[in-house]
Amino acid sequence: MPFKLLLQLGWRNLFRHKRRNFMLLLAICVAVAGVVVMNSLIRGFQFDMQEAAVANLTGHVKMLAPGYLDDPNIEKSFTLVKDWQPHLPGVELEGWAPRIRIPAVIMSERETRGIQLVGIDPARENISFLDKVELAGDMLSDADDRRVVIGKELARQLETEVGRRLVIITQGIDGRNREAGFRIAGTFDADGKGLEKLFVFTGVTALQNLVDAEVITEVSIKVVSQLDESLAQQGLADSFLDLDVLSWQQLEPQAAAMFVFADSAIFIWFLVMMGALIFGLMNTLITAVMERIKEFGMLRAVGMRPRAVVVQVVVESTLIMLVGVVSGTLIGWLLVLWLSDGGIDLSAYAQGVELAGMRSVLMPRLLVEDLLLVSSLSLVFGILAALYPARRAVKINPLEALRR
Amino acid sequence: MSDVVVRCSGISRTYQEESVPVQALQDVDFEVCKGEFISLAGPSGSGKSTLLNIIGGLDRPDKGDVEVAGVKLNDLNESELSDLRLQKMGFVFQAYNLIPVLSARENVEFIMQLQGVSPAERASRATAVLEQLGVEGMADRRPGELSGGQQQRVAVARAIVTRPVLLLADEPSANLDSATTRELLEMLRTLNETHGVTIVAATHDPIVMSYARRQVNLRDGRIVEDKQNEAA
Ligand SMILES: Nc1ncnc2c1ncn2[C@@H]1O[C@H](COP(=O)(O)OP(=O)(O)OP(=O)(O)O)[C@@H](O)[C@H]1O
Ligand SMILES: [Mg+2]
Repeated sequence: MPFKLLLQLGWRNLFRHKRRNFMLLLAICVAVAGVVVMNSLIRGFQFDMQEAAVANLTGHVKMLAPGYLDDPNIEKSFTLVKDWQPHLPGVELEGWAPRIRIPAVIMSERETRGIQLVGIDPARENISFLDKVELAGDMLSDADDRRVVIGKELARQLETEVGRRLVIITQGIDGRNREAGFRIAGTFDADGKGLEKLFVFTGVTALQNLVDAEVITEVSIKVVSQLDESLAQQGLADSFLDLDVLSWQQLEPQAAAMFVFADSAIFIWFLVMMGALIFGLMNTLITAVMERIKEFGMLRAVGMRPRAVVVQVVVESTLIMLVGVVSGTLIGWLLVLWLSDGGIDLSAYAQGVELAGMRSVLMPRLLVEDLLLVSSLSLVFGILAALYPARRAVKINPLEALRR
Repeated sequence: MSDVVVRCSGISRTYQEESVPVQALQDVDFEVCKGEFISLAGPSGSGKSTLLNIIGGLDRPDKGDVEVAGVKLNDLNESELSDLRLQKMGFVFQAYNLIPVLSARENVEFIMQLQGVSPAERASRATAVLEQLGVEGMADRRPGELSGGQQQRVAVARAIVTRPVLLLADEPSANLDSATTRELLEMLRTLNETHGVTIVAATHDPIVMSYARRQVNLRDGRIVEDKQNEAA
């Protein structure tokens, strides 16, 4: 079959009814651009949510003592051999951090609050949100640092400030309470008040001294490529048989569920847009076939095979779709670029936004695989929309057509 | 024997028009030999187009056999009929039926493209035929930019450029004035005499009949007269 000929005919026929086809193209364009922009917003939201879940001291994979999750306290702890390094062949690590994380009570002269006391090695916390926070005062200098870093919101609630002292009460390894005074090295401003109220950081060695045990309660690991997540999890589980090795999806099931939901939201949105579009396309194609009955009859009369007539209609539909999809994608892409300049400020809805685990500025993210999926599925829809009109065209009896 | 191009034996065709059956052809025997120029004449509704369409494989008889270039049409399916039309026949319709989005040259090359003729061959054949029909100056115009006579020439060019075994024309002069009709017929005669193209034309037009060398008259679906035209 001379496909080139059909392609040429199809292309020329695009310009036959300029206004009608232009309107249709415009509709496809708007729909595709809409899908592209919406996709990138959903992806941005999805990415933020995951980042937040992972940065929230979770990491991609975390090792915990069994039972810690149900009852987090210093007894649910473990030790690492001296100079331990994660050994995970084939996995590129962004970093790893050992921590103690235990519940504690913090007191200023005026207020008392329940918090999570986290002993860290500050040099290793490039993998958590601590790396990105705005800090007033100093960060902890090292694992031996006996000062604390607290959230700005907590400082406000405790009516205290950098340089002042706080008292922290927590349980030691023997089950008895320990009480100690800490000076505030700095206050952090995280993107959301939840973290600022929850976490109080001090040096891990300093905290070990307080609870009288050279243990840790967790090791958090962040990989470079998401694809390595399960490999890392497996590798750690194999070498630490007596620890729980959990992924971020297991640790943050709500975020993980939202992540999956966002995937389907992209698909549903696409189907709704395309579903509406396909009827417009079909209508245009049927009109185009009906007003060219004579021409199709002639084509059949001079020897064009029925199958070539079907291909002709499908080619025309696909061409319209292709032009629409290409220009729509381009426009969508430009819109996303424009939105990316600064992102979309959601701070007016800060509370709801924070609940959903998002940042106050939503950055659209354009994924190449989404673009490919949208364009190829659109073309498939273009072909599907052409099938019924093509059937009409192929049913045209050349004799009837020529008798008109 | 071998120079019989069309052989129809005992063909009948009845149309069901709003529950009243119309006998368009009744038990017609008809043969066309290679190199003939035949006009099918007769009053309106006598079955001229029906016979032409059956020969062209566009319509099927209810009864009887049709053989074109040695192939029995009764046995062919739609695709095979399409191929036969494509490879063996040229059609000239009353309304010229050119493809509006293609230029004259592209229209002429169109069927060769369907046949899979190489581009170089296509171009040289199209040029030759357009020249032969005196429309080479219009090659790049689209049908909408051509007069009726010019369009009909392009349509003829498209039909003959593939060197068909059989050229079928239904009322080729219906939309032409008599001067243009004569030009067209001179052209058909040249094709017939110098290139040996076999032509069957259904017509009302006495000018067309006068150019054809054999005239077959139909009435009520039957052949009532079959004569050689000595003057032609
Ligand atoms: N598709 C059809 N459906 C119904 N009746 C038809 C059909 N085609 C032809 N007929 C009828 O068959 C008869 C013969 O028609 P045909 O077109 O062969 O005549 P014709 O000699 O070509 O007439 P004209 O000179 O008007 O072209 C007519 O009565 C016509 O009405
Ligand atoms: Mg007729």
